[in-house]
Amino acid sequence: MFHIGIDIGGTFTDCVLIGGGAPGGGTYHTAKALSSKGDPADGVLAALAELADSTGLALPDLLARTERIGHGTTIGTNTVLERNGARVGLVTTAGHGDALAIMRGHGRVAGRSIEDVFAVRGTSLPAPLIVPGAVLELHERVDASGKVVVALDENRATDAIAAFIAEHQLDSVAVALLWSFANPEHELATEKIVRVVAPDVFISLSSRVSPRLGEFERTVAAVLNGYMGPACTSYLDSLGGRLAAGGLTVPLLLMQSSGGVVPASIASEVALGTLDSGPTAGLTGVTALATVNGHRNVVATDMGGTSFDIGLVVDGQPIVANEAVIDQYTYRLPHLDVRTTACGGGTIARRDPQTGALRVGPDSAGSEPGPACYRRGGTQPTVTDADVVLGLLRPDSFLGGRMPLEEDASRAAIARLADSLGLGLEETAAGIININNLRAATLIRQQTLERGLDPRDFVLYAYGGAGPVHAFGYAAEIGVREVLIPLGNGASTLSAYGIAAGDLTWFAEVETSLLAPFGDAALAREIAGAVERARKLMLAAGVEEEPHLDAWALMRYQEQLMHSLEVPIDAGGLDGAPADREGLADRLAAGFTTEYARRYGAAAASAFRAAEIFGLRVRARVPAAPGEVSGTTAPLPGEAGRPEPVFWPDAGQRLPTTVYDGGRLGDGSALSGPALVELSHTTVAVPRGASLTVDGGHLRLLLPAAEAAEKGAAA
Amino acid sequence: MSAPTTVTWDGVARGYVPPAALPIDPRLALHETDSADVDPVTFEVIRYALLNANVEHGQTLQRLCVSPITMLTRDFQPSVLTQRGELVFLGPYLQYFSNAQSLTIKWILENRSGDPGIGPGDMFLSNDPYVGTPHQPDTIVAAPVFVGEQLFCWVANVLHHSDIGGSVVGSFCVDAADIFTDPPAFPPFKIVEGGRLRPDMEQVFLRQSRLPGVVQMDLRAAISANTVTAGKIEALIARYGADAVKTVMSKVIDAGEELFVERLRQIPDGTWSHRLYAEASHTGDTGLYRYQLTVRKRGDELLVDNAGTDPQAGSINVTYAGLVGAFLSALTASLTPDLAGAYGGVYRRVRFEPVPGTLSCADFPAAVSPSGVFTMELLISLSGSVIAKMVAAGPPELRDRALGPAQPHWYGTIIAGQQPTGAPYIAVNANNMIGALPASSDADGADFGGHFWIPEGIASNIEETEQLYPMLCLYRRALRGGADGAGAHRGGRSITEAYVPWGTPGMAAALYIDDSFPKAVGPFGANPSSMGRVLVKHGVGLAEHFAAGVVPQDVEALPGQQEPVDHKGPMLMLGPDSVIAWTGANNPGYGDPLTRAPQAVASDVGHGWLDRADATRVYAVAWAADGNVDETGTRQLRAERLSERLAEAAAPADGRPPTLAGSDAELRPVGGDLGVLLVGGQPAEWVSLSGRARLGPITGDYRPACAVRQTPVNQVAPEFATRPGRPGEAILLREYLCPVSGVRLATELLRSGDDPAADMVLAGGGE
Repeated sequence: MFHIGIDIGGTFTDCVLIGGGAPGGGTYHTAKALSSKGDPADGVLAALAELADSTGLALPDLLARTERIGHGTTIGTNTVLERNGARVGLVTTAGHGDALAIMRGHGRVAGRSIEDVFAVRGTSLPAPLIVPGAVLELHERVDASGKVVVALDENRATDAIAAFIAEHQLDSVAVALLWSFANPEHELATEKIVRVVAPDVFISLSSRVSPRLGEFERTVAAVLNGYMGPACTSYLDSLGGRLAAGGLTVPLLLMQSSGGVVPASIASEVALGTLDSGPTAGLTGVTALATVNGHRNVVATDMGGTSFDIGLVVDGQPIVANEAVIDQYTYRLPHLDVRTTACGGGTIARRDPQTGALRVGPDSAGSEPGPACYRRGGTQPTVTDADVVLGLLRPDSFLGGRMPLEEDASRAAIARLADSLGLGLEETAAGIININNLRAATLIRQQTLERGLDPRDFVLYAYGGAGPVHAFGYAAEIGVREVLIPLGNGASTLSAYGIAAGDLTWFAEVETSLLAPFGDAALAREIAGAVERARKLMLAAGVEEEPHLDAWALMRYQEQLMHSLEVPIDAGGLDGAPADREGLADRLAAGFTTEYARRYGAAAASAFRAAEIFGLRVRARVPAAPGEVSGTTAPLPGEAGRPEPVFWPDAGQRLPTTVYDGGRLGDGSALSGPALVELSHTTVAVPRGASLTVDGGHLRLLLPAAEAAEKGAAA
Repeated sequence: MSAPTTVTWDGVARGYVPPAALPIDPRLALHETDSADVDPVTFEVIRYALLNANVEHGQTLQRLCVSPITMLTRDFQPSVLTQRGELVFLGPYLQYFSNAQSLTIKWILENRSGDPGIGPGDMFLSNDPYVGTPHQPDTIVAAPVFVGEQLFCWVANVLHHSDIGGSVVGSFCVDAADIFTDPPAFPPFKIVEGGRLRPDMEQVFLRQSRLPGVVQMDLRAAISANTVTAGKIEALIARYGADAVKTVMSKVIDAGEELFVERLRQIPDGTWSHRLYAEASHTGDTGLYRYQLTVRKRGDELLVDNAGTDPQAGSINVTYAGLVGAFLSALTASLTPDLAGAYGGVYRRVRFEPVPGTLSCADFPAAVSPSGVFTMELLISLSGSVIAKMVAAGPPELRDRALGPAQPHWYGTIIAGQQPTGAPYIAVNANNMIGALPASSDADGADFGGHFWIPEGIASNIEETEQLYPMLCLYRRALRGGADGAGAHRGGRSITEAYVPWGTPGMAAALYIDDSFPKAVGPFGANPSSMGRVLVKHGVGLAEHFAAGVVPQDVEALPGQQEPVDHKGPMLMLGPDSVIAWTGANNPGYGDPLTRAPQAVASDVGHGWLDRADATRVYAVAWAADGNVDETGTRQLRAERLSERLAEAAAPADGRPPTLAGSDAELRPVGGDLGVLLVGGQPAEWVSLSGRARLGPITGDYRPACAVRQTPVNQVAPEFATRPGRPGEAILLREYLCPVSGVRLATELLRSGDDPAADMVLAGGGE
């Protein structure tokens, strides 16, 4: 039986098939087809046909033998960014209809770069998501304790809602009432009314989509879900229907930004979860591979043409964040914490006119016009051009030779910059790489240090087109010695793999206001409530297997609004016998203090301030348990080509460098630097003193000890 | 009688102004090497690491502090400074703290380097406004970083503490007569010595506060964040060497200076002034007070003075530190935001020559603590106006950088009371963070756009407020557009909110702001901004409304007794059936509202932001039967309004009939309807663009050639009305009109009896 993952990207739709066979002996196939701009389902079917081909099966047979099929879609993200979503209107509490427009006074800068924030001019509020003016305020009110202050007059509301939908010609309604997460009664009543007066209208309730404190972010969540819900639903219905007609017997699963999959049949509830699920799928893939590889702590780094995404796996679990921003709209939804900075192959280098120093980024040439060597009109020197000048990328081998690069264009672009800096050509190119690596390393360091973690305790996974070629540099910069290039092929299909390998996952987050010293009984009650909520969500999606449960208390000192620290709730506290729950409150309080002191120092931890549990997060998951993966299918001996004189930015000189065809390196191959391993989508740079082995289908790069440790300590 | 002693700028009797050569005790060795040979790559590596050390410093503060309002409004600021206290990097937080650390560190170097000395592992605390902080709650903790025995640099932060004592809850002491009734001000003392926190000194500081637990937590956060940041700089020194790191610091400052000079050179030399008025120097007072600012641009330097400002009074003062901080925050945000906080070099080119003993440069023992919501904002707004005028004289790309006058006060409330548990609370409503941006030469101000001097603050959710404090919010709404904030480009719109006590028998408003006249006016003929208003009503019958299924949305229309409210009145007591509503302010526009593109007005109407009738009243837009703009009718209506203006206006003071620029004359716009007539490609005379009236040489004031209409501002529009007997009745709106067309060239708020303030002259004129 097969597990299949499908990831739709801007250019390609990737498919991965994992056979359920014995570890190592299982089948692993990948396929690629051009994404279809019109109906993305066409691209999916084409990729599946390719996949069937590669397995030697007819597509109906392949689908019939598939026991699990997951899908990652960008349709929701595109709907929001291109503003072609539903005609959605907002129903909210009287007096608070402007919350969505006011955006807490932060909408002008939310999610913008620090440069934009300082600049002020040139920033503006994002385009609205709702139909202009389509806000209906209902006279109803619930207070902070969940008590109804003003009852909803359902008769009056029915008339108002019917008129509202008609006036604005809505095909979707988002309902976000104050304190609805504490008491959803009025939102549920409103939903019933909408179903009666306009049965075809899509409904999105804030208490269901994002039941968290904070009316602005909850409203955004409900509105976003309502905005893209209809498009997602109709697409998934169509794709699901075509797959079923083609022989698929299991429900289509949908990738969520939480790092798991859920049945697509409940897409109306979870459209929001598909936002930014792309980078999450990669991190999910890394998490699955890290488990197999026995790596407990991993920095996952994806460097592409314009951006550098990083995520952390700590103690076997990817880090979860709460708040996300899309197009300057902030919403709250548990999602894997993938952070991005503008730092990739297309990042532009320039001379700062005032200091005369070399600056790299944040501007990017992207893929259009792209680096000078792409010959698409770009003339500014980029990181990729520096790679070409140094010899880290060979012009004729780029993307497996499918896209030859113009070396002269790179040299000319870098030479102009070198002249203005008063540096040599290679010195400049090496400087670009070193500064770009520093910027990447800084993002990693900030994310690890803010959690009180030492990056030197991590294994770094590098993927994306520009990841493996630069990983040696940014890994050394943070003191990491071990770098893994997953799946051998530069992981162009890592996201699809993550989708295939992702667990069925539900997060349930509930707000609490437990102030220390909180009692065991109250705590147990709240935890039971959160667990029940998670189980209900699963059952509602038709999943009846017994889930694996994890839970965390979200804690901070009282009034420390900008802070959130997740303290794991142990098994005893989660679903143990009453005796096991005893003392849980004390254990959590102690756990908070310990973790706080570990992150911020003992002096920062306070004995004079009450800690509080302001939320509980429960994750219910049914593991996917895919078979082990073997990324390389050609166990041929590694074949060394002619040594090339590559200028290594860490060594500051040209060194004879052996070039390997990565496609021919089999399991157990070992080589030492300086070397380049060329793969179909990227190149792995192995510096002097480093070694590379092929192990379980992955390329494992081991950097020299002294250098990494020294730099890491100083950083 | 003894002879009068000379008052010096020593940070004791008068605000501290560091001498050009800082006297530092020779026993303190400084690391001074800043000419190491650093290649362009290493340079960038070090610069980026320093920048990020400061960014992470801010993030650490944000995570560790517990004062919700301080964190949401980013009322803090980390800095990296050189061994002599020159600013290297400032973070993206509250910008008027720009110079606070610098002044304080220079004072420490001058006054503490000998005794008790400055050593490794020390940290100094100060909240003394005469030394360097804008007002007492803003407390500075400064940590020297040493390399060996030499003082290498400083890391420091400023943090607004929730309450540090004084007569009013929250430490904005509007009733203070002098600093002895203001919160205590501590000159720099060692809070950490040789790496050890001094519990005795910590207790001295905490003892003053109504919220010692919160203040302690935040103080510890400030100390921890400094420690961590100092460690990062030490690691950088270990890796690249002290000389290289110092060289980068120096060059970063030099680079900022170079960029600023480059931009300054695009502006002709000249002099620009602006004036604003405040009301009530303390609780019970009904006076009007004048603040004036003049900027002279001479070559590569700016000279700033406050001549024309009234003598210090009550609690509406700031010291030298506040004046400088306000001006620099507006200057850097407008002219050099691309330096992203590396502003030290800009500061080198700005010289302040303030008149001491005044509201904006007070001498000891003037009270200053409320300045954080009154005078600092007023001075930032004033600075923004002057800068907008100044850069308008430059090329368009520079003119468009100006951010203009900010909101002149920080509207909102500080409410105190008891939780249902009996525990006291202080609820600082800082939702004015939602703010709005002023209009600029080429665009409307962003609605709810925050404040340019707090680039990325955020307001509370209503649910967060209701969770923390026993109150219920009836509404948070957008303010509508109207005469307030109107202009050729309109100012951004802000918000209004209303609260009732909830689950508690009552609450008290300790701080609130009810204007009796608008405080700011937009450049080049725009209207004034909104008046911040507070409305208090008792016995409104809340329970009945709620039982009837209604959440009241119009406090004016509610039954009950309205309590008259003053600008800085005494504490207002609110019972269980009382409501308090406050408004922020739509920010000032830019240019004459009668020149606003009718389609832009129609767009505001279409969005529901402006009533049709108000559009006609304020912008003279006529509407066709189909609801679209009646273009012909609008032209006609505008022509009528402009004639009315001229009919009501006094003829030009220079007594000459207007002469017109020839049809072939070359005119260049400056701002709004004001332009210059070029002779031989060079600006020679002021001119109105609409009427082509020649207004005199650019070396003189253009306004004597204008027709002038003067109206009590309360009567200009209902938006600017106040109840009888309040100070605002004595404020006039003076409109300077093109004598030919009637289009406004400038507007000015003026206290009855005052002569108009100077406005602008170019190329060395008007001296």
